[in-house]
Amino acid sequence: MTAIALRPASIARPGIPMRRVTTPDRPDDEKGLVLAAQRGEMEAFSELVRRHQRRAYAVARAIVITHEDAEDAVQDAFLHAYRALHRFLPDQAFGAWLHRIVANASLDITRRRKVRDADELPETVASPFRDPAESAELRTRLRDALAQLPVRQRSVIVLHDVEGFKHAEIGQLLGIPEGTARSDLHYARSALRRLLETFRNPQ
Amino acid sequence: MTTNKDHLHLVGADDGDREITSALRTLYAAPESDGYWTAFEQRIMDRIAKGEASDTFWYVPTQWTRIGLIAAGFAMIVAASLLLRQRAEERQMAYDTVLGQPSGGPTLAIRDAQTKEQATINYIIGR
Repeated sequence: MTAIALRPASIARPGIPMRRVTTPDRPDDEKGLVLAAQRGEMEAFSELVRRHQRRAYAVARAIVITHEDAEDAVQDAFLHAYRALHRFLPDQAFGAWLHRIVANASLDITRRRKVRDADELPETVASPFRDPAESAELRTRLRDALAQLPVRQRSVIVLHDVEGFKHAEIGQLLGIPEGTARSDLHYARSALRRLLETFRNPQ
Repeated sequence: MTTNKDHLHLVGADDGDREITSALRTLYAAPESDGYWTAFEQRIMDRIAKGEASDTFWYVPTQWTRIGLIAAGFAMIVAASLLLRQRAEERQMAYDTVLGQPSGGPTLAIRDAQTKEQATINYIIGR
């Protein structure tokens, strides 16, 4: 993916169209954006949103049940991030900081929705953007199986197997020790295998 | 029942697990349309703008509330001191009224009195 970087100096002047420069994604650019956003330049923050919203959505989607809740969590998280931006140290990784906020916002929504009542897992768990060629039956079984997992285990397996986060990163995101993330992943996999056994071995 | 080998048996290690992982990725696939993300970014920024506006809405009354509270506190102090002063004056006027009587029996008692308190007692006894 090509990242679009902004020159912070050009953002500060009101009334002048922003100049966008297509460059590879570099940490220095991001630090400049963060500094500009901290000075109150909304276009710089908008660029940070543009860069991070997909990954933020992925983190949220791994934790909440529905696409709509994931959108809400991401919006909440960016609002929190914007409000707390003055406390963020620009030398840190903005993405990691943001992802923790996204995870917290998602867990907050999850708690509010009480999604541990897994029977209420709605049909909308399936992404409306899925590949239609996939096995519909497997998806249905998988959806049912995921509904039976505790929220944390489901989040861990999705963050690890779908989004590619490492155990330590998952631990930081969810506020759990790395070892717990590992064991949650193990239990989630075992549970999915067991729950999908009949589908995979019909005899 | 799982065994210890399951710790090393990652999803994707066989065709079945790969199938599950693939299905998981399909279930959790993010929207791909650039139009969706452009619109989503706009919604996020609108939400931030609204959030800031509502913060400002609350912030201004908070400032005024602070000023109002300080003013109310000051007014209460002034009112309390005025009330105390007024009561002191009323008390003094009551004494003056009693002690300053120009005629009648009680005035004799007042004349002989050494203190206001004694004069009051004398006045009551003399009635």
